[in-house]
Amino acid sequence: MFQAIKSKLSNMSTIKLLCERAETYALLDQQREPGAEHFLLAALDLPDGTARLAFEQSGVEPDALRAAIERQYVDALRLIGLKADTPADMPISASPGFYQAASSGREIMQELAASRKDHRPLLGAHVVGIVAGMSHGVAARALRALGVDAVVLRSAADAIAENGHAKA
Amino acid sequence: MVDLHDITVPTDPDEALAAVVALRRLADRIERQAVRSALRQGWPWSRIAQALGITKQAAHKRLSDVAADDSST
Repeated sequence: MFQAIKSKLSNMSTIKLLCERAETYALLDQQREPGAEHFLLAALDLPDGTARLAFEQSGVEPDALRAAIERQYVDALRLIGLKADTPADMPISASPGFYQAASSGREIMQELAASRKDHRPLLGAHVVGIVAGMSHGVAARALRALGVDAVVLRSAADAIAENGHAKA
Repeated sequence: MVDLHDITVPTDPDEALAAVVALRRLADRIERQAVRSALRQGWPWSRIAQALGITKQAAHKRLSDVAADDSST
């Protein structure tokens, strides 16, 4: 009973941190609503270190993700014949009012909510597992730009998340 | 100068849609830079809105933080 309450409180704190970090990355990226790519970056910042571990076990440098996200935009423009580096700009400000995620970000939150009974506790690896299962979108393209095998990354993330579950 | 004839739409929908996302993001950034420049040159929001083809309220709602960014620099 005590363990369940402790786990629930820990998960709430992790969700709060995850959402705040995702929003910060979105604002740095000139977007108000965090998408899957911002949640993935946020997961890598979580103190449990499991998201980073999943990347490392899949042979990917976690700190290379941000540049890969930017690179996939440049690559996407190049595919239509445009050579354009997106001009850098200062971060934008958060909108007042309710927290809102972009569609891909909401997808992550919905999947986390649907599987919350398995989170003891919620870990960054859970987020990595969900994002690695997405086949389209900015996050998926960024992972491909990094040379990530999404199946390998998802397996690594799921195994780490399961160990976290077993430890609790 | 980009010749629009040089733009080719990929036949792979994933690539074509990724290009759309990248173009929207590029347009958003250009818009913010242009609005910041306009505000620095003293343009009122009504003029910016007219140039963007949207209402003054819509322009202000979406881009008013550009003015805040500007005053903080």
